[in-house]
Amino acid sequence: MYSESFIPAVASLGSLAFVLGIIILFVSKKFFVAEDPTVSMINALLPGVNCGACGYPSCSQFAEELVRTRNPSMTCPVGGGELAEKLGTALGITMAEPKPVTCVVLCQGHNGNARESAEYIGIRDCWAAAQAFAGTKQCRFACTGLGSCIAFCDFNAMRIENGLVVIDKELCTGCGACVPACPYGVLTMQEKKNERYLIACSSHDRGADTRKACDAGCTACQKCVRECPEQAIVIDNFLASIIQEKCTSCGKCLEVCPTKVNCILLERDMETVKSKKVP
Amino acid sequence: MKTFKTGGIHPPEQKLTSGKAVEVMPHPQELAVPMSQHLGKPAKPVVKVGDEVKKGQLVGAADGFISANVHAPTSGKIKAVKQHPHPGGQYSMTVFITPDGKDEWLEGLNTPECDWKKLSKEEILKRITDAGVVGMGGAGFPSGVKLSPPRDKTIDTIILNGAECEPFLTADHRVMIEEPEAIVKGLEIITSLFQGQVSAYIGIESNKPDAAAALKKHADSKGIGIVVLETKYPQGAEKQLINAITGRTVNEGELPFDKGCLVHNIATAIAIYEAVCKNKPLIERVVTISGMEIHTAKNIRILVGTKFSEIAAFCGSMTEKTNQVITGGPMMGKAQFSLDVPVTKTTSGILFINNRGLEKSGEKTCIRCSRCISACPQNLQPWLLANTAQLRDFDTIELYGMANCTECGSCSYVCPSKRELVHWIKYAKTLASKRKQRQSA
Repeated sequence: MYSESFIPAVASLGSLAFVLGIIILFVSKKFFVAEDPTVSMINALLPGVNCGACGYPSCSQFAEELVRTRNPSMTCPVGGGELAEKLGTALGITMAEPKPVTCVVLCQGHNGNARESAEYIGIRDCWAAAQAFAGTKQCRFACTGLGSCIAFCDFNAMRIENGLVVIDKELCTGCGACVPACPYGVLTMQEKKNERYLIACSSHDRGADTRKACDAGCTACQKCVRECPEQAIVIDNFLASIIQEKCTSCGKCLEVCPTKVNCILLERDMETVKSKKVP
Repeated sequence: MKTFKTGGIHPPEQKLTSGKAVEVMPHPQELAVPMSQHLGKPAKPVVKVGDEVKKGQLVGAADGFISANVHAPTSGKIKAVKQHPHPGGQYSMTVFITPDGKDEWLEGLNTPECDWKKLSKEEILKRITDAGVVGMGGAGFPSGVKLSPPRDKTIDTIILNGAECEPFLTADHRVMIEEPEAIVKGLEIITSLFQGQVSAYIGIESNKPDAAAALKKHADSKGIGIVVLETKYPQGAEKQLINAITGRTVNEGELPFDKGCLVHNIATAIAIYEAVCKNKPLIERVVTISGMEIHTAKNIRILVGTKFSEIAAFCGSMTEKTNQVITGGPMMGKAQFSLDVPVTKTTSGILFINNRGLEKSGEKTCIRCSRCISACPQNLQPWLLANTAQLRDFDTIELYGMANCTECGSCSYVCPSKRELVHWIKYAKTLASKRKQRQSA
């Protein structure tokens, strides 16, 4: 009974598959697109997260463009020096050494030291909170701690701790996708260094107003400016900033900073710059 | 009874202060006068710290076409010019004035009433613009700009908006009872600016029969129609009011003058009358102070720039249970984060309320009951807009008519799942415009 019923099915489907197979074979021969094998090789070397940090929408487009132009200044910020070396060997050119960057949070106002103004009820999203004053904290330049940036991080390097965004230095690749996601511009990209000092505050309020709102805010008191032997600190619109090229990480500014909590000047021990040796 | 065609809700009216006459609040200790009290570009401060100003003196000059002048509400000394919280939800450049108590007018202002019929059209428009008159219903569109529509548009209907459909608010209601003559004169001035056959109406909701009666006495002889409208929210929204009175529909992307209409608020009509006939700049307004948590709810005449904290003290302070202070009405108003914010030209009410237990934090998923669709006066699908906003799909949300949403709040009010529909739509509007700016940059 069964043997009779499955034979036509197998026969018809089998012949159909055979005919279609022939067509596919024909089409693939006839319309063959020659692909540069170096492109796929380069593509395999790239991280493959399509973060867009290089300026191209995807890794494969970066690979195509790199193979086409052989431009040594094209860099993948995520891969860093190690990858640049590999790409250079693969293409037979000397790639420019990329400057590895990392994301830094220019705000220290967590729940412990930044005063809350009012309770925020509504959509848990920074941009939504920004419509009602500056979210939950009294300081209008502060991180709201609602974490809209987290969704933009492809590397799981961000989390909210105690009402403030924290970056995992091990995981951050410096792609910069999170920067436009912040309504207050609290996130910026900085070049990686072994050790660094930076003003982790974004408040352009006058000193007295900043102090009222937060214990870790820059009051623009000028003390660090006077103390710095390299003249690497400038104050603009009630906020100090350190010129990283001039800074020698002597730490004198940290000693004189009068802000109550941790000082505004924050020491950051960075992970050492990735090894350039190809294994 | 006339009403708009689609949607609408009827929240409890809660007009606690409708029987209370307008009181005048004494001058506060300090005035914070924001430079941005209107739609468009903020005014430019023209005074320095330490300057002495007279009442009615210009402190902020209009910067550009869509902008408005700001004047000193009383005489005194400029204490500071700095960024300060603004009831609109952002920070704004603000001029701080310490009153000297003399309350002296600048010469040439607040003159005895003159006959406006002798003035030319240009002179009338100039006086309105110079006085910094803006729409006092909430949006604050500069009146001088609104009264000079493009040449190719003919205006045949002028409507004064006395609907006051927001719960709690009674400021316009009291003004209609107490100053009907000024309102009618203001409307006559507006009408005189347009050629041809222009019909004028005043739209009033049916819950204010005393206001309609008071206005009728003065309006009937002038050929102004008093239209009693059904008590329904948002009857006082510009597009809904036009639909209710004239039957015309203002479609997406159109402005009222595309349909030959012009809508002004009751309070704006008085401001226009005072600016034209008395040369008086817009420096004060009537505000409803209400809500369950304020000791005595009142309607008060108040100087622009008075801080909320001083108003609360004048009304016998708020109770400890207060957990939200709202400017405007409960439907469209904004919750404030500080009592330091000042009253502006567009503040129609301040509500002190306790909404613990009513918080919308328990947002649940949409159950497709379609109540928001029946409630929407703009024929939109709020649940769809909110869902698309949640997906951050800003191209699609524009196809669904996001720009047509007037943020009246009817959908959020009726939603049984307590979804933050309007907040999501506002959120999408902000991010979509940010994205456009970035793309064009």
